[in-house]
Amino acid sequence: MSTMKTTRDVRGIGLSIPRPDGPEKVTGHLQYVADIKPKGLLHAKLLRSPHAHARIVKIDVGKARALPGVRAVLTAADVPELKRKAPTRAHAVLAIDRVVFHGQPVAAVAADEPSIAEEALDLIQVQYEVLAASVDPLQAMRAGAPPVADRGTEADTSEALAHSAVALAKGESNDAKGVNVSQTSAVKRGDVAKGLAESDVVIEHTYRVPMVHQGYLEPHAVLAEWDTTGALTLWASTQGSFNTRSEVADVLGIEENRIKVIPVECGGGFGGKIRALCEPITALLARATGKPVRYVMTRREELQAGMPAPQVIIRLKTGAKRDGTLMALEAETILESGAFSGTVLAVSAVFLGSLYRWPAFDIKGSEVLTHKPSVAAYRAPVAPQTIFAIDSQMEHLARALGLDSVEFRARHLSHPGEPMVNNVPWASNGAHEVLARAAEHPFWKERAAWKAGSSDRSLRGTGLALGGWLGGLQPTGATVKLNPDGTLSVLTGQVDIAGTNIALAQIAATAYGIDIEKVKITTGDTDVAPVTGLSAGSKTVYTVGVAVMQAAEDARRQTLEIAAGELEASVHDLEIVEGKVVVRGVPNKGITLTQIGRKGNLYMSKVPPVLGTAHPAFSQQAPAFAAQIARIEVDPDTGEVTLHDFVVVQDVGRAINPLGVEGQMQGGSVQSLGIALTEALTYDETGRLTNPSLLDYRKLTAADLPSIETIIVEVPSPAGPFGARGVGEPPIVPAPAAIANALEDATGVRFTECPMTSERIAMALIDHRAAATRKA
Amino acid sequence: MAKQILRCTVNDQPVEVLVFPYQTLLDALREDLGLTGPKEGCGTGDCGACTVHLDGQPVASCLVLAMQARGRSVRTIEGLTSGSGLPSGALHPLQEAFVRHGVPQCGFCIPGVLMAAAALLSENPRPTEREIRYGIAGNLCRCTGYTKMVTAITEAAATMAKGAK
Amino acid sequence: MRRFELVLPHSIADCLKVLAKRKGKAKVVAGGTDLLPQLKNGVINPPCVVDLSGVAALKTLERAKGKGLRIGASVTARALELDAHVRSAYPAIAESGALVGSVQVRNLATVGGNLCNAAPSADMAPPLLALDAEAVIVGPKGRRRVPIASFFTGVRKTVLAPDELLLEIAVPAPGPHSGGNYLRHTPRRELDIAVVGVASQITLGGSTCAKARIALASVAPTPVRALKAEAALVGQALTPALIERAADLAVEAAKPISDQRGSAEYRLHLVRVLTRRTLTTALHRARNGSGRK
Repeated sequence: MSTMKTTRDVRGIGLSIPRPDGPEKVTGHLQYVADIKPKGLLHAKLLRSPHAHARIVKIDVGKARALPGVRAVLTAADVPELKRKAPTRAHAVLAIDRVVFHGQPVAAVAADEPSIAEEALDLIQVQYEVLAASVDPLQAMRAGAPPVADRGTEADTSEALAHSAVALAKGESNDAKGVNVSQTSAVKRGDVAKGLAESDVVIEHTYRVPMVHQGYLEPHAVLAEWDTTGALTLWASTQGSFNTRSEVADVLGIEENRIKVIPVECGGGFGGKIRALCEPITALLARATGKPVRYVMTRREELQAGMPAPQVIIRLKTGAKRDGTLMALEAETILESGAFSGTVLAVSAVFLGSLYRWPAFDIKGSEVLTHKPSVAAYRAPVAPQTIFAIDSQMEHLARALGLDSVEFRARHLSHPGEPMVNNVPWASNGAHEVLARAAEHPFWKERAAWKAGSSDRSLRGTGLALGGWLGGLQPTGATVKLNPDGTLSVLTGQVDIAGTNIALAQIAATAYGIDIEKVKITTGDTDVAPVTGLSAGSKTVYTVGVAVMQAAEDARRQTLEIAAGELEASVHDLEIVEGKVVVRGVPNKGITLTQIGRKGNLYMSKVPPVLGTAHPAFSQQAPAFAAQIARIEVDPDTGEVTLHDFVVVQDVGRAINPLGVEGQMQGGSVQSLGIALTEALTYDETGRLTNPSLLDYRKLTAADLPSIETIIVEVPSPAGPFGARGVGEPPIVPAPAAIANALEDATGVRFTECPMTSERIAMALIDHRAAATRKA
Repeated sequence: MAKQILRCTVNDQPVEVLVFPYQTLLDALREDLGLTGPKEGCGTGDCGACTVHLDGQPVASCLVLAMQARGRSVRTIEGLTSGSGLPSGALHPLQEAFVRHGVPQCGFCIPGVLMAAAALLSENPRPTEREIRYGIAGNLCRCTGYTKMVTAITEAAATMAKGAK
Repeated sequence: MRRFELVLPHSIADCLKVLAKRKGKAKVVAGGTDLLPQLKNGVINPPCVVDLSGVAALKTLERAKGKGLRIGASVTARALELDAHVRSAYPAIAESGALVGSVQVRNLATVGGNLCNAAPSADMAPPLLALDAEAVIVGPKGRRRVPIASFFTGVRKTVLAPDELLLEIAVPAPGPHSGGNYLRHTPRRELDIAVVGVASQITLGGSTCAKARIALASVAPTPVRALKAEAALVGQALTPALIERAADLAVEAAKPISDQRGSAEYRLHLVRVLTRRTLTTALHRARNGSGRK
C-alpha cells in the first residue's frame, strides 16, 4: 500500500503515517456490529420504563408472545439468575420489582423483524406504582430524599480507580449523610479559615456542568450467539473486550472462558462503551431463542438510557493576597452519578487542590445517586468540569488582582515532584512547557488588538486555559511472532479506537529493527489475545505500547540468538539491516529473517519459532497537559458566539505518529467545545429526559467551527515507549474554561454554568447592561 | 404484511428487490441489498451518517421510504467510483485524500461525509472553506473535529479540477 | 417503525380517492422529514401511508414575471433555496428554504410538508405569510383557496380536512420597490429548529412605506403577523428609529412559551432583534431592487 511506505527511515517513530484501515473505512467496506447479518438473525427491542422511579406491580406479556413473528419475550421472571440487588448497572438487566431511572429495561423481545419487535413492545402491559423520584442532586443529598440504591449496594469504584489510578482516603462517615450519598472524600492541608481571613481578595463561585453524552456516532450494538456446547460468542462494539467478558460472565453466572467477545470495529466510545450494557440481555434472548440475536440501540435510547458523564457541581472559594500569593482554597464537589455509583471523586480533588500550589486547602467531595441513567466515563472523566472551575477561578483572581493571567498561572503551577493532594508527588510532566508555548502564540500576544478590532457591533475576546489528565494505568500483554516470510505479526487484545494500532506498528518496527510495511497488528478476541484493559484512560500507547515494545525486543533477542548460532558469531556483533541479520562490518555474512522464520517452522528443525512476549504491569503514571486558546466574537443582541480561531497546545511526550496525534487533539478539542457551548442532557422535574434526539442534544457541526490549530510539545515521560504519553484525554479538558475566559474578556461577564448558550449569554448581557446603566 | 417490488438503479446497476412498505431506503440498502456503507446514526435525519445520492442529490436515506426510490437512481459509498471512469478498485480522489490526511478515526461517519462532499464538489467544484463546512454541516463527526476533513476535501477538489481540464 | 400499508398514487385524483376511502386513517408523506421521525417515535401510528412522490403535478414551480409564483406542495426547500427567480424576487422564501435542517434534509423537505406539519417553528410559513400567499387545497368537492394567515389553526393543526390535499401555494408578486428577508435564531448554524423566526416584507411607495408585513414563527401556537408593528410603518418614512419602534410593537404580538429550546423572555428579546434586522434588510432590498444573491 503506497500510503504505508516509509521514505527515509526504517524506524517509524515520529512519522506521520495514515492508519492502515483508512481504505476500508473510506470505501464503506469495514463492518460494524449492525452490518453483520448471520443466517436466522433475530432482532431485539427493549421495553423501557416510562417512569424515573416506580414499583412494578404486574407485567403481562401474553399478547406480545402471541404476535406472529415474535420468538421470545423475557422479563425478570424468566431469568432467575439475575441478582436481586444489582450491584452495578450491568447487573440491572431487566428490572425485577422496581425501576430506578426513566428508560430502564423492563422487558425484552426478539422477533423476525424490528417492526414486529416494536409492535410486540406495544402489547406488553406493565402496571406501575409511580414513586417520588430524586432528580436534583442537591435535594437528593438531603436526609429523607427518595432513596435510589438498594440498601447494601456498594459504591462501584473498581473502574473509577482503574481509570484514574489515583486513590484517596474515604471521607469520614457522616451520620447525617443523606441516603443517596454513595461516596465521599475529604482532603485537607493547613488552616483554610485562617488563610481566607488573611486574604485580600476572596472569590467564591459555584460552577455547574450538566450531564452530557459521549456522542459517539455508532449507537451501542451487539450480536449474540450460543453454540450447542453452551459457549457464547458476542460481537460487540466495546472499548474493552476483556472487561465486557468479565462483566457478562458475572451477570449471567457463567465462566469467562465460556464466553468469546469479538471486538468489532467500534464507532466511537469515549468512555461510554467501557462497561457492558446491552450484552447480557442480548445473550439471554439468544439463549431463549436458540438463534443469533442482534440489538442496536436507537439514538433515542442512547440519549435516554446510555451511560453519560456525571453532572458536576463545584462550589469553590479561593483567597489570595494583593501581591498574588495564593492563600487558601475551599471546595465542595458534587458528582451526580445517576442510579448507580461510578464516578471518580479523586480526580476532581487532585486538580482542584494540587494543579496549583495552595498552602491551605479543604476539599470535600460527594457522589450522589439520583433516579437517572447511571454514568460511565467520558474522556478524562470529571477533568473538563473541574478545570472549568479551577481555571476560571484562577483567571478571575488574576483579573481581580490586576495581574497577567498566564503569568499568574505559571507562578503557581505545580512542578513535578511537588505533592498532589494525596501527598504523592506529581510525576514528570510538561504543564509549564505547554503553558509557556501557548503564551507565545500570536493569538494570545495580540489579544488586545483583536478585542479592539471589531468592525461591527460584535464583542471580541480571547481566552486561554490549561488542563490535563493524570494518565491511566492497566496491566497488559502482547506477542510478536516472526513469520516464515520474514514479516512480523503482533497480537494484542487492545481495541483500536484512537488509531493506536499504527502507533503500535511503528513501535514494534522500531524496537525490532524492521520496515513498518512488514509489521501487522492484530487485535485478537478474548479467546486468542493476551488479557488487556480498556482502550481508555489515555493509556493505550503508554501501556500496550510498552508491552509491544518489550515483546518486539524479546523477539529481536531471540532472532539474534538464532542467527548467532547459525552464523557462529556473537549476538553483540549482530544487527538487523533491511530484513537480514548481518555481522557488523561484514555485510555479506548474514542470514535473512525469512531464512530464520522458515527454519522455525520446518519439519525436523531444531530451530524454534521466534515468539516474543511481554506482560507488564505499571506503577508510574504519565500526566499530560494541554492549553487551549479561543478567539471569539459575540453578537451582543442574540448572544451568538462565533468561534473565530482555536488552538490546542499539548504535551504528548513523544509523538509516535503526529498525524494520529493531531487527529486526537482536534477531536478532543471539539468535544470540549461542545461541553462549553451547546451540550446538555436536560431532565424535567419527574426525571424524564426532555431532549432525546440529536435535534435538541446539540453537537457542533462543521459550520460552527474553525480549523483547529495543533501545536505538539514533547516532554518525554520516563516510562512511556520512546517517551510517549497518552494523547486522547488532555484535549477535552480546557475548552470550557477557555471559552468562559474569552467571554469574560469580550463581555465583562463571568459565566459559571455550562453550556454557555446564546440564550444565557444574551440574557446575561441584558442584565449586565442594565446593572451598568443603574450604576451610571 | 405483503412486500412490494422496488425497481430502481443502485450504483449504476438495475435492481429489483422486495421490500416492506414501512422499510426505509437506508434499511433496504443495508439489509436487502447488502450495501452496509450507509449507516444509521440517529434515524431522524439529524446526523448524516446515512447520506446517499438520490438522483444525484445528497439525502438522508433514513427519512426516505424504500418505495419512494422507485424508478430513481441511488448511489451509495460503495458506488462512489462506479460510472466515474475510474478503474475498478481505484479510490476516488476524495477517498484518497481522506486516507492520506488520516481523516477516518472510528470511521462510522465517513461514508456519509464522503457522499456529502462528493455532492458538494459536483455542484461546486471550487468551494471555499466556508462552503465546504456548510456542505458537510449535516454530517456529525465526533472523532475528528472536522479540520482534516476540510483539508482533504479542499485538496481533492483541486485534484479533480486539474483532472477535469 | 411499526408496520403500515403504503399506497402509491400516480395522480391527484388517485390520491383523493385513497384519502376518501381511508376516512382519516391515512397519512400522506412527501419528503418524510417530519413524518418519518414521528412514525419512528410512535407519536403517530397510522395503518396506511400515502406516498405523494409519484404525483408529478405537485412538483411544479411556476413563475412568470410580475404574475407571482405557484409553488407545488412537493417542491423541496432546496429547490426554493437555489431557484434564481425566487432568490431575486422572493428572497425571504429562498432564505427560509435555505435554513431548513441540512442539505440532506433540504433535498427531501417540501414546502407543503412544512406547512401541513404546522409546527409553530415552521420556517417556510413566515415568509409566505408576509407575502400574503394563499394555500390552494383540493378535495372531493373541488378546489378552495385559503389565505396562509387562516391556514393554521393551532399547534400541528390546519384547516385541511382528512380527505383534502394541499396542492400548491400561490404567492402574488410583491410589486416593484419591494424587498423581504427571513432570519431565524438557532443555537447552531445547521441542523436546528428556529428558536424564533421573523420574516419582513416591505413595499415602498416613493419615499414612504406603502405596505409592510411582519410574520413571526415560534412565538405562538401558529405563525402570526405583528399587525400593530405593520400599521406603524405604513405611510411613514422608514427611519432607524421607526424600525426600532416597529420592533418593540412586534414583541407585543408574540406570546411565546418557555420550552427547552428557549425561554419566553429570550424569545421576546429575539423578536425585537430579528424584526429590526429583517426590516432593515427588507428596506435595503426594496430600495435597491436586489434580492438574495
